[in-house]
Amino acid sequence: MKRLGVLAASRLLWLVPTLCGLVLLTFAIAHVIPADPAGLVAGDTATPEQVAKIRHNLGLDRPLGDQLAAYVAELVRGDLGTSLFTNRPIAEDLLNRLPATLELTGYAMLIAVLGGVPLGVVAGYRHGTVLDHLIRVGTVAGFAIASFWLALMLQLLFAMQLRWLPLAGRGGSGALVGPTGLRTVDTLLCGDLAGCVDALAHLALPALALALPIMATLVRFARAGMLDVLGGPSFAYQRAMGLPVRISLWRYALRHALVAVVTQAGLSFGVMLAGSVVIETIFDWPGVGNYAYESITHSDYPAVMGFVLWSGVAFIVIKFVIDVLLTLIDPRERAR
Amino acid sequence: MTGPRAGLTRRGLLASAAVLGVALPDVAQPGAARAETPKLFVFANSDRYDTLDPHQSFDVARVAVRLNLYDNLYRWEDNPPQLKPWLAESHTISADGLTYTFKLRSGAKFHDGAAVTADDVVYSVERLLGMGKGAAPLIGMMVEKGSTKSPDVATVVFTIKRPAAIFLSAIPELHIVNAELLRAKEVNGDWAGPWLSSNDAGSGAYMLDSFDPVGNFRAKRFPDHFVGWQGNHLDDVEFRAVLDTSTIVLGMTRGDYSGTDGYLPFEQIERLRRAPDVNILEAESMRLAAIQMNNSKSPFDDVHFRRAIAYAFDYDGMISGILHDSVVRNPVPIPNNCPGFPVGVTGYSFDLDKARAELKLAKSVPDRVYQIAFSSGQVTLQQQAEVLQNGLRQLGIKTELKVLPWASLQPLFRSAETSPDFFSTIISTYYPDPHNWIGEMYSSAAWGTFKSAAYYKNPEVDQLLAQGMASTDPEARWKIYAAAARIVLNDSPGIFIYNTKWFGPYAKNVAGVRFSPIGNGMEMRWASFA
Repeated sequence: MKRLGVLAASRLLWLVPTLCGLVLLTFAIAHVIPADPAGLVAGDTATPEQVAKIRHNLGLDRPLGDQLAAYVAELVRGDLGTSLFTNRPIAEDLLNRLPATLELTGYAMLIAVLGGVPLGVVAGYRHGTVLDHLIRVGTVAGFAIASFWLALMLQLLFAMQLRWLPLAGRGGSGALVGPTGLRTVDTLLCGDLAGCVDALAHLALPALALALPIMATLVRFARAGMLDVLGGPSFAYQRAMGLPVRISLWRYALRHALVAVVTQAGLSFGVMLAGSVVIETIFDWPGVGNYAYESITHSDYPAVMGFVLWSGVAFIVIKFVIDVLLTLIDPRERAR
Repeated sequence: MTGPRAGLTRRGLLASAAVLGVALPDVAQPGAARAETPKLFVFANSDRYDTLDPHQSFDVARVAVRLNLYDNLYRWEDNPPQLKPWLAESHTISADGLTYTFKLRSGAKFHDGAAVTADDVVYSVERLLGMGKGAAPLIGMMVEKGSTKSPDVATVVFTIKRPAAIFLSAIPELHIVNAELLRAKEVNGDWAGPWLSSNDAGSGAYMLDSFDPVGNFRAKRFPDHFVGWQGNHLDDVEFRAVLDTSTIVLGMTRGDYSGTDGYLPFEQIERLRRAPDVNILEAESMRLAAIQMNNSKSPFDDVHFRRAIAYAFDYDGMISGILHDSVVRNPVPIPNNCPGFPVGVTGYSFDLDKARAELKLAKSVPDRVYQIAFSSGQVTLQQQAEVLQNGLRQLGIKTELKVLPWASLQPLFRSAETSPDFFSTIISTYYPDPHNWIGEMYSSAAWGTFKSAAYYKNPEVDQLLAQGMASTDPEARWKIYAAAARIVLNDSPGIFIYNTKWFGPYAKNVAGVRFSPIGNGMEMRWASFA
């Protein structure tokens, strides 16, 4: 517990300089890009005078230092600012999209872990066999296939040909109202089983498209970890002592292999939390990835910075969770 | 209504097209027929409805909000567009052309039941100009803040800065909001902008049912709309943002969507023609494709050089070869279905011999690599840039394509120094008047926007265009614009290529869709399930 406390304290201490760096970096990049948000807000037919007026109203004609100071002051008050285009608070825009991303990411991660880890263990244990080769071929394919192509193929097969699953969208009707914003959870909480099934059906294809490349990564890490253990003396000792393969493999060898798998899975989870623009676009999934993309193309500086801050915080939290998990899994970490 | 539309597709359009090219014939099977008439009309829009505020947007992408939730004093309907009295039943114009007096019809109500009054119109003008967004540049060009008055509840008086023939054409872009409701929602003089971005303060034929802040909204029929309802109509409509082209095509084929906007690439329209449950409605629209040259820079300041370039563009190759005759040749900077089009003009043709002859007459010679700029994500604009590049290569003129996101491209047009050598563009119908095209493209008084990327100056044309703006006699105006178009054509400040057609994919069980270049068929009050 002491180790966990120290870990939490150090992560929290790192949070402040990390976020400061993120804010500075994003602010600088956003203002270096040769785009004019005032012009976009004013419209395509606005005269230079009208654009200048909008720029003044938005405070974009003030010195960069003043703009940064004003932005940081708002951040300190917990205000991410207002989007130049939706005219709504950025925190509200992000919160509106966050549940969709969390839900998609969560299910994709579930598929990736439940598929990737067992396949990696089996491939490692049966290394050199036809099964191992098949899994490795599948892994390479998982890396090589472009996600948009995979998404299209899934749509064509399951939505168009077989008509088993919906083509796109999140399901339901109108705006989602529920305590968590996660449609699969909220429908269950309301006792709406059909709604839950509908939500799962809408999740299936985007989650699968998002999960497969990550699953391929996890297979490789799990397989490599298993090969490391299976070739070592501990596995030979367990076998010599008559420990059943099942127990030796899944209880002891896997635990060792999980160190790398958990790290990789956590990092992938962090990346997915920042949104997957391609998958969200193809499946019309209203997550934060799309919001970031649109904010960037609109040069909506406050929204871009809000998104980057969210991504940074998410990544730091994920990294902390990974460290905690590794401490629990790996006795060497606890012994440090 | 924006010309260049950013983000039409978000990723590998070519890859999608290639994939769908193989797969769609298989999926567009008769077995995909709908079992029953749906109750909900789902419109797949290729952009998000990120705000519901009618004074914050001026583009086709979000026009469904303005046309369905809101009304205006006059409204453009049908094709060719007819200006019809809407919330106003009539208007008069003073002899000096400066004062427009509108009489409001009685009985029009907002969705909360309040009557539409002249005070709402005045508030709407002030709000639009005060926020400075959406159609504010257009209306603000003619109307000063504080100059609009309401002498009684049914009369609105606009006093414009100077005679402007386009005032009536532009007045449909003023959408009337519920003043009393918004005043109650204002915070620190914000015109209730944040509130209205997610809510409804209109009197339109449909009222907001629900808004999903991620970019969709659902509307239900407003039974008390002043126009009244006869026959069949849609009771519930959902406007759903579907950003991916292939998803729209598959969704239309599958029957998930009842209609979509008219911006699909032509090859995807051809795929949808083979879908058993989809109708493709067609109409000639008013979107002019052109490539502007920056006349302020050498050698584009030489008329012979510009004419050489106009002769070097393969018009037939673009229209027939690439776009499969889905558009029509348009030789001048006025759409050929718009008043003021100079009848009998044929324009330039692809003729490299004439191009070389003009080049010999030019005082300047090509001495650098010229950039052809266009907005990213715009396949057609890239194609016309490539056609030009190919023609110029045969003249020994080197060019390079410069693709930029619209956010980076737009600021370049504010000065002649930064405006690109060539700019491949399509100019849409902001208002159906020749001034929308030739006036804003070639009057030196209108420099500073993407339309005027040519920075062309001809005092004779300036004078004619000023006369066209000042005159209130339509027939006289059309002659003035036709005369200006002939001069511009002779000066060749740009390459005028084609006028687009609108291809509107709708489910076969949808009837009554009425297309107007203003709104692209997205006004739903006329539509119904068959």
